[in-house]
Amino acid sequence: MSKRAARIDIALALAALAGCALFTGLFLRAEAQWEIAVLAVLLAATLYAAGRSGVAARLEATGAAHPRAASLAAGAAMLLLVALLHSSHFALLMMATVALFATACMGLTLQFGYAGITNFAGAAFFGIGGYTTAVLATHTGVPHLLVLLAGGAMAGLIGSLLILPILRTRGHYAALVTIAFAVLFKTFLEVNDALGGPQGLKVPGLELFGWAFNRRIPLGEDREISFFASYAALSIVLALLAYSLVKRVERSWLGLSLDAVRVDETAAACFGIDIARWKILAFTLGNFLVGLAGGIYAMMLGYIAPTSFTFGDSLIMVSIVILGGLGNPLGVIPAALLVVVLPEKLQLIQEYRFLLFAVVVMLILVFRPDGLLPRRMREYFAGWKRA
Amino acid sequence: MSSTLLSAQGLTVRFGGLTALNGLDFHLERGELVGLIGPNGSGKTTFFNALTGLYRPSAGRVQLGADDITGLSPQRVYRAGITRTFQRLRLALSLSVFDNLMIGNHRRLDAGLLGNVLHRARLRADIERNVEQARQLLRRFSAPLAARLFDPVAQLPMIDRRRVEVCRALISDPRILLLDEPSAGMTQEETRALMDDLLATRSEHPELAMVLIEHEMGVIERVSDRCVVLNYGEKIAEGSYRQVADDSRVRSAYLGED
Amino acid sequence: MDPGLLGQYLLNGLVLGVIYAMVAVGFTLFFGVLDVIKFSHGDVVMAGAFVGLAAYAGLEHLGLHSPLLALALIVTAATAAMALFGAAAARYLVLPLRGAPPLNTLLATLMLGLALREAVRLFYPNGSNPKPFPRLLPVEAIDIGNFTLRYDSAIIVLGGLAAIFALHIFITRSRLGLAIRAVAQDAETARVMGIDFRAVVLATFALGSALAALAGVANGLYYSEVNFSMGLLLGVIGFSCAVVGGLGSVLGAILGGFLFAALQTAGAVWFAVPAYKDVFAFAAVILVMAWKPTGLISETPAERV
Repeated sequence: MSKRAARIDIALALAALAGCALFTGLFLRAEAQWEIAVLAVLLAATLYAAGRSGVAARLEATGAAHPRAASLAAGAAMLLLVALLHSSHFALLMMATVALFATACMGLTLQFGYAGITNFAGAAFFGIGGYTTAVLATHTGVPHLLVLLAGGAMAGLIGSLLILPILRTRGHYAALVTIAFAVLFKTFLEVNDALGGPQGLKVPGLELFGWAFNRRIPLGEDREISFFASYAALSIVLALLAYSLVKRVERSWLGLSLDAVRVDETAAACFGIDIARWKILAFTLGNFLVGLAGGIYAMMLGYIAPTSFTFGDSLIMVSIVILGGLGNPLGVIPAALLVVVLPEKLQLIQEYRFLLFAVVVMLILVFRPDGLLPRRMREYFAGWKRA
Repeated sequence: MSSTLLSAQGLTVRFGGLTALNGLDFHLERGELVGLIGPNGSGKTTFFNALTGLYRPSAGRVQLGADDITGLSPQRVYRAGITRTFQRLRLALSLSVFDNLMIGNHRRLDAGLLGNVLHRARLRADIERNVEQARQLLRRFSAPLAARLFDPVAQLPMIDRRRVEVCRALISDPRILLLDEPSAGMTQEETRALMDDLLATRSEHPELAMVLIEHEMGVIERVSDRCVVLNYGEKIAEGSYRQVADDSRVRSAYLGED
Repeated sequence: MDPGLLGQYLLNGLVLGVIYAMVAVGFTLFFGVLDVIKFSHGDVVMAGAFVGLAAYAGLEHLGLHSPLLALALIVTAATAAMALFGAAAARYLVLPLRGAPPLNTLLATLMLGLALREAVRLFYPNGSNPKPFPRLLPVEAIDIGNFTLRYDSAIIVLGGLAAIFALHIFITRSRLGLAIRAVAQDAETARVMGIDFRAVVLATFALGSALAALAGVANGLYYSEVNFSMGLLLGVIGFSCAVVGGLGSVLGAILGGFLFAALQTAGAVWFAVPAYKDVFAFAAVILVMAWKPTGLISETPAERV
C-alpha cells in the first residue's frame, strides 16, 4: 500500500472518529423528539451504508493497523466529549451507562462470541458486582478500588457454581442453566431481607485515590461540573481497557483456542484442546468484566434494587452483543448506544418503546443477522496479511 | 518386533446391544502405511474413534510403543502423537487456513493468559515462526494453496479443504496419522493428486506411520504396504493387497454388499 | 404432616403440573421438528388467556350467560387464535432464520414474546393491570376429612390430562402425526419421502400453540386472574420442564412438568418464606442439568464423527 493511500486512510479514520464523537454529543444532548428520531435513523443508515460500501471494513483495517493509536484517539475524543458536556447530568449519565453496558457486553462477547457459551444471566452477574460493591463499601473500610475488583471477582466466583452444568451441557441446555440462574437470582434478591429485599440497598459514592466522585465541583456562580462527569470518564477508561483486553485475547493463541472450542468441540479435542479449561477461562473472565462494570454502575446510581437485574435486562445485554455483531467488541459500542439511550430519549414513543425495540431487533435478526459491525477475520498483529 | 509402534488387542466397542467393533487385533510398524478397508458400517471409523479417545473401548487394549493408551482422552492421545482427519471434514470454515493449521499445532502453542495478553513482542515472533512453518508445509502439497494462507477455509474448493485437513494433522509432527477416507467427495484426478502428496510426505518422514481408510481399491493397491479388511466389526483378512484381494471372504463381503 | 393438608398440596401440585406440562409439550414438539427453542411460547400462553377473556367479554355483551357455552367459546377462540399465531410465527420468523445460528432464533423469539406482551399491555383495554378471569367451573367442593376437593381443580387436572393424551394419540396415530414424527426423526429423509416439510412445521407450531392457549385458559380459571406479564415466568418454567425431561420427548415434557410443580410445592412447604419456592425449584433444575446434561429422558444418539 502506498504512503499516500495510508495517509488517506488515517485522515478518513480521524474524520470518522470526529464524526462519531460529534454524533454521540448531538445524540446525548438532543431533546426534541424529531431530532432524536432523525439522529437514530441517521446512525442506522450510516452504519448500513458504511457496511455495504466497505468503508466500515476499511476503517476497521486502519484501526487494526494502529491499534494503540486508535484506542487512544477514541478515548481522547470521548473524554473531550465528557469535558464539553461537563454540566449536563443526563447526557453524562447516559454516556457512563453506555460505557458500562459496553464493558459488560465485551465480557459477554468472550463467552458468546468466542467460546460459544450462551449466558442469559448477564444482568445477574452485573447485579452481583453491584450488590457486592454495596455491601463492602457500606460495611467495611476496604479501599474502593479493591471493592470494585471484589465485585468482579465475586461475579466470577458465583459464576463458577454454574460451571459444572455448563461444561456438561451444550446449546439450548446450557442456555437453560443460565436462564434458571437469572430468574433464581432476582427472586433471591427480592426475598432476602439482608440485601434489602425488593427495596434494595443504598450504595456509597465511589472514592478512588482520595478523589470522591460524588463531590460537587462549583464552576463560577451558578454552574457546576456534574459529578457524573467523573463516572463517565472512569467508565470510558474502563471500556477502553476492556476492549483492549478482549481484542488482545482475540488476537492471540487464546482467541484461536476459544474459536476452536466454539466451532467444533470434537475436532478441538482431537488436537489436544482442553474444552473445559477454555470455557472456564472465557466464562470467568467474562463474568469478571460484567461484575466490575456492575459495581461502578451501582456506585454511580447510589441505589440498587432487584428490578434492575431481571431476566429482561439480561436479554437487553444479549441483544446488544448480537446487534453489535457477534464476536466484535467494537460493534458492542454503537449497539449499546442505541439500545440504552434510544428508549430513554424517545418519550414520544415512551409507551411503545419496548414494542418498537422488540420489532427492530427481530427485523435486524431476519435481515442483517451478522449485526451492525460483523466480526472480521482474525489479524494477530498490525500488518498481518503481509506477514 | 521392536519396530511395532501401535498395537491393539481384542479391541471391542459396543453401543447398547450393537457391537460395532469386535475383538480387533491390529498392529502398525514404524513408517508403515496400512490400508483399512471394508463395506460401510464395518467398523473402520469406529476403530479410529476408539483409538483417538472419542469412544471408550468396551474391552481390549491399545499400546503405543511401551505405553498403554487404552481409553485415554482425545487430548492425551493427540499429545502422545496420534492425529487424524475426518471423513466428513471437520474444519473451522469461518477461520483462515492458518488458524485451522494452528489448531492442529495446539500442543506447541503458548496457552498461558499472561504470555498471550502481555508479552506481545514474544508472541508476535512465535506467530511469525508458525506462519513460516505453515507456509512451508502447505507448499509441499500445493503452492497456490500456500498463497491463500489467510483466506477463510469456506472459500476453498474441496481438494484444498482436504489438503488443509491433512496438513492440520501433520503440522504437529505426529508419530501416527489416521486418514479417514480422504478421497470422499473428490474426483479421481484429485484423489490421485492427494495420494501423490501423501507418498511425498512419507518419503520425507520415513518414521511416520499411517492408517488409510479407503473405498477405492485402486488407491489402496497403489499406496498401502499392507491391508486389513473389516466386516461387521471383525477382521476378516489381513496381508498384502494381492492376498486380501484374492481372499474368498473379502470377495463375498464386497459382493454381498454390492 | 396432616394427611388432609398433604392432599391439598398434592392437588395444588397436580394442577400446576398439568399446566406446566401443557406448556412444556409445545417446547418439546418445536424442538423435535426444527431443533429450535421458541421462547415466545410463554407469552402465547398469556395471549391465549387474553383471547379467551375477550371472547367472554363479547359473549357477555351479547347478553348470553351460560357458563358452559362461555367455556366452550373461550377454549375455541383461544386455541384457534393461538394456533394461527403459532403457524404465522413459524412461517415469518422461525423458518426464515433456519440457516442462522440457533442463538439468533432464540433471541428473535424472545423478542416476539416481548412484542406480544407489550401489545397486550398497550392495546388490550386497561391491559397493564391484572384482569379478573371468569369463574366458569363449578365452585363446589367436597370435604373428605379435612381435605377439600375443589371440583374446578379436579376438572382442570382431568381436562389437561385429556388434552395431552389426545395430542399423544394424534401424534402416534394420525397421518399428520406420523409426518411430524418422521420430520423429527430425520427432516432430510422425510423430505425425500415426499413429506411437505413446511406444512408439517406449520402444523406442529399451530398444535403446540393451541395447547399453550389451553394452558393459559386453565391458568386463568385456576387463579381467576390473568395479567400481561405472566407469560415470561410460565415460559421459563415450561422450557425448564421440557429440558429437564429431555428435549424432543413428549413423555419427558410431562414428567418435567409434574417434577417442577412438585419441586415448587415442596419448596413452599419447606421454607418459611414461600417465595423461596422458585429459588429452590430453579436451583434444583440447575442440579439436574449438572447430573443429567441432556435431561431425564434423553434421546440423543452418539454423535456421528
